[in-house]
Amino acid sequence: MTIKDQYLGELNHLLHVIPSEQRQELLLDYELHFQMAMENGQPEEQIAHELGDPRVIAKELLLGYRVHQAETKQSPVRVSRAVFSAVSLGFFNLIFMLGPYLALMGILFSLWVVVVVLWATPVLLLADWAINETFPLTAVLSVCALIAGLALLAGVGMTKLTKGLLSMTMKYLKWNTRVVRVVKEK
Amino acid sequence: MNVQFKKGVLEICVLVLASREDRYGYELAVMISEKFEVAVGSVYPLLNRLTQEGLFSTYLQESKEGPPRKYYRLTEPGWHYMRGLIDEWNVFTEAVNEIIEEGLRP
Repeated sequence: MTIKDQYLGELNHLLHVIPSEQRQELLLDYELHFQMAMENGQPEEQIAHELGDPRVIAKELLLGYRVHQAETKQSPVRVSRAVFSAVSLGFFNLIFMLGPYLALMGILFSLWVVVVVLWATPVLLLADWAINETFPLTAVLSVCALIAGLALLAGVGMTKLTKGLLSMTMKYLKWNTRVVRVVKEK
Repeated sequence: MNVQFKKGVLEICVLVLASREDRYGYELAVMISEKFEVAVGSVYPLLNRLTQEGLFSTYLQESKEGPPRKYYRLTEPGWHYMRGLIDEWNVFTEAVNEIIEEGLRP
């Protein structure tokens, strides 16, 4: 196997999470680069060296993919994946980026638990009334209405908060990823 | 050159290089890596990101000598984005130059 095949093979392997069509598009740049440089008489080994470590390149490409995925459809899972990609690439210090991010997500999650409990409460109260009839129906209904109203407000608020935090994270991430790696030794 | 300096600056350079005529990836990668001492391989992820953001469009073209070339063309939004970056850059460098000149005046 030639060095070129090895290089492209490793890149392909490292990018396996990206759908095939998109991955081929990314690999094409490197394939063409090899071809062009070889045409100019450069030995394969030197080309591979100049391109840089395929593991680092794969991380950079993967980050681009993750950020794009998170942007087209912002969801906590996608944004988190992008954040993890960025951390693995060394864009962020573990403590300064991942720590606060996880803490924030933790707080967000527990607030959502509260919202879910609020939503469930009227249902549980009605079920309790149906079984035990401890309190009169009018009292149960008015309490239910009150809690349902609160739950609705909390739900809307939390949706806004979640969206806001996710897009803020994305903005910060994108701003930081505009870095291009430098050559360490020359 | 300082790593912090390179943030964003490379983006301007790639956009400007492709503004006059469409450029193929290899050409851009070599030009940029020669000037800024960045790893050649990491210019492509940058190009890819800019393409995803709609600032570049790409097309493949056979060439008479050698392998086909993947060309990067600056799009309309790419052009506006580039103009914005250049304006910011000019304001920034002017301010820095002023301070340097005043600071070094005997």
